[in-house]
Amino acid sequence: MRRGLISWSRDEVAASVLDDRVSRLQAAMRKAGLGAVIAYTSFARPSAVAWLTHFVPYWNEAILVVHPAGPPVLLAAFSKRVHDWIREVSHVGEVRAAPDLGRAVVKYFDEHPAAAGRIGVVELDALPWPVAAPLIDRHGVSLVDATSVFAGVRQPADEVEIRLARRASQIAAGAFAAIPAGIRRASQLLAALEGSARLGGAEDVQLRLAADLGSEATLRRVEGDAPLANRHAVQMLVTYKAACVRVTRSLCAGAAPRSWQAAAGWLVRAGARLGEDGLATGTADPAPGRISFWQIESSLGSQPLSAVAGSQGGVAPVLPAGSLASLSVRIDLDDGPWLGGGALQVGGRAADAWIAQESSE
Amino acid sequence: MSGFPGGLRAERRERLASAMAAEGIDVLVVAGNPWRSDYLRFAIDVTLAEGQAFAFVRRDGGTRLIAENEAEAERIRVEQPEIEVSGSRSPIEATAQAIATLGPGRIALAPFAAIPCGLATEPLRASIGTATAMLDRLMLRKSPAEIDAFRRAASLADEGYAVFCKAARVDRPEYALVADVEAFFRSRGCPENFQILASGGREVRGMHPPGERRLAPGDLVTTELTPCVDGYYAQICRTLVIGDPNDAQRRAFAVYDAALEAGVAAVRPGVTAGEVAKAENEVFRAHGLGEYVTSEYTRVRGHGLGLYVDGKPAVLEDVELVLEPGMTLIVHPNTYHPEVGYFVHGDSLQVTAAGCEVVTHTPRKLFSVPGN
Repeated sequence: MRRGLISWSRDEVAASVLDDRVSRLQAAMRKAGLGAVIAYTSFARPSAVAWLTHFVPYWNEAILVVHPAGPPVLLAAFSKRVHDWIREVSHVGEVRAAPDLGRAVVKYFDEHPAAAGRIGVVELDALPWPVAAPLIDRHGVSLVDATSVFAGVRQPADEVEIRLARRASQIAAGAFAAIPAGIRRASQLLAALEGSARLGGAEDVQLRLAADLGSEATLRRVEGDAPLANRHAVQMLVTYKAACVRVTRSLCAGAAPRSWQAAAGWLVRAGARLGEDGLATGTADPAPGRISFWQIESSLGSQPLSAVAGSQGGVAPVLPAGSLASLSVRIDLDDGPWLGGGALQVGGRAADAWIAQESSE
Repeated sequence: MSGFPGGLRAERRERLASAMAAEGIDVLVVAGNPWRSDYLRFAIDVTLAEGQAFAFVRRDGGTRLIAENEAEAERIRVEQPEIEVSGSRSPIEATAQAIATLGPGRIALAPFAAIPCGLATEPLRASIGTATAMLDRLMLRKSPAEIDAFRRAASLADEGYAVFCKAARVDRPEYALVADVEAFFRSRGCPENFQILASGGREVRGMHPPGERRLAPGDLVTTELTPCVDGYYAQICRTLVIGDPNDAQRRAFAVYDAALEAGVAAVRPGVTAGEVAKAENEVFRAHGLGEYVTSEYTRVRGHGLGLYVDGKPAVLEDVELVLEPGMTLIVHPNTYHPEVGYFVHGDSLQVTAAGCEVVTHTPRKLFSVPGN
């Protein structure tokens, strides 16, 4: 429940980039015969609306209405005095006060009926019931799930998102570089990472830690403190200007063991070959140990990252070439577990797949 | 490393089981996400970092959790091996299927704020209100162990504000102040903090997440810090000036300080949240500032605290919830002031049998940091 820097830099994300994304969705809507698409946004589900408008709700909720043509309209449960801030940090056609969000959406469609009758809802099933109830009462069968329509335009990533993701990866790399030598507590490690990433401009940072790889490789949400063993692993989920990457590193005092260097090298090669069929292509180069976990995630809906393939669910070839993804891997080496991962573009040119140089030591 | 005392986990579970028995609920399905993890935390001691999750809490003790995020599922499995945890990329569908196989017995869904549309089907839809109200009652009035966590969070908020003051220097961007505070909280083992701020003058109408604006001499810098200890949030609101406060800023502070004092003085068992708001607002009205306690300029005059940063009751004049010992809240007469801009001032407190005890101890003054 933390938010860092939220601002809209027109140099980094031009309004025309956001207009193009909305246009892509509008074209898909017309093809699907939808008269409107609505996307819900909250602290827990900010990504779809942030990608379209650069708006991130820091504590409240809102709904974005996209018609087949014209700029989107934001119905925001924030009080009116926050509207100037919303306009400052995002690109929408109109901001309307909507303290009772569900009823406000109903009222909006009473005044602006969806042209083709059907209203698509991104992740309809996940819409919070207080918001959904009035909509279902009024529009019932006219509501259809638009999750796949949105996901179909969300990837591949545009150049702007790749640049933002690269910056997010660099923020993570900078945070790892800022870890003081000789620390012995989880709290010292996490404070260094958090402080560096926030100073680097991260909008959000989620940290997980496996404090002692000698006894357990599970990445935990740390509450309180713990001793930090010589070998440990950290995972950072970093969001920068709505672009999200997951970076995982195994860390130890002194030089990395040769087994870790081999694992890191394998990960770099496997990621570079990551194709539309997931890690299968990459595994042509045998890993230096047993791959006990792997996962590919991408931004496809309202959550920052969604799992699309991995050891838990098999390979699902759903990401088009050029998609922005995060790869996370755990390998059981002869001398213990090793965790690594970072952000890359799937199915692109192998030499350019990783959007930031990966290493793990 | 969940850090939560097992005793409190068991205590809350016992209270929940008793309440479920009183309501005749056999299985309670509790939804959560990274923003609304409060009900999940109360029911099964889980705070989510990513994805949705749904807990099946049986009155007789068994617990199952369906988590959308595999990493979350794995770490909860390790932290609480007694919970049967499964991961699912379609958690709503998986939960609906699991509900369908529960067999006889009364099932209820909660909370209202986090139950997704896909689960709110008939006949369970009707249970959401009752089950949410049951949990709200349990979560409103804290046990001594819960109060202890709240008090520790309040102490951390005090320390955090000292860090914030030190971080507030001319030419630093707003987000750098938050970076310093968040790093400090992490150094103290604090996993969550809700913080917003603002800087500037009369043009500032409210607080927001940090931007790139750089602090300048004469700025009012407002913030609310809300660190979390063992799942419980406490909050502090203060305002500082970059440089020496001017007369208008000093006059404004006097109004907000009197309003805070009046609000705190009104807190005691038997009083409604509305009466607390009225006590605060009367001070503004007496100074000819009544317009600025309306929804045009302010949201609430305080709110409940606990496992959620913005809990019940909302401190507003029309809220009739009666305060009871064990409730925890912040009184904050934050609003826009026409001469100086948005201004905040607030303290966390617990309602006691005799009245209330303020648990944040940062001096109530208009802070000032060097303006050069």
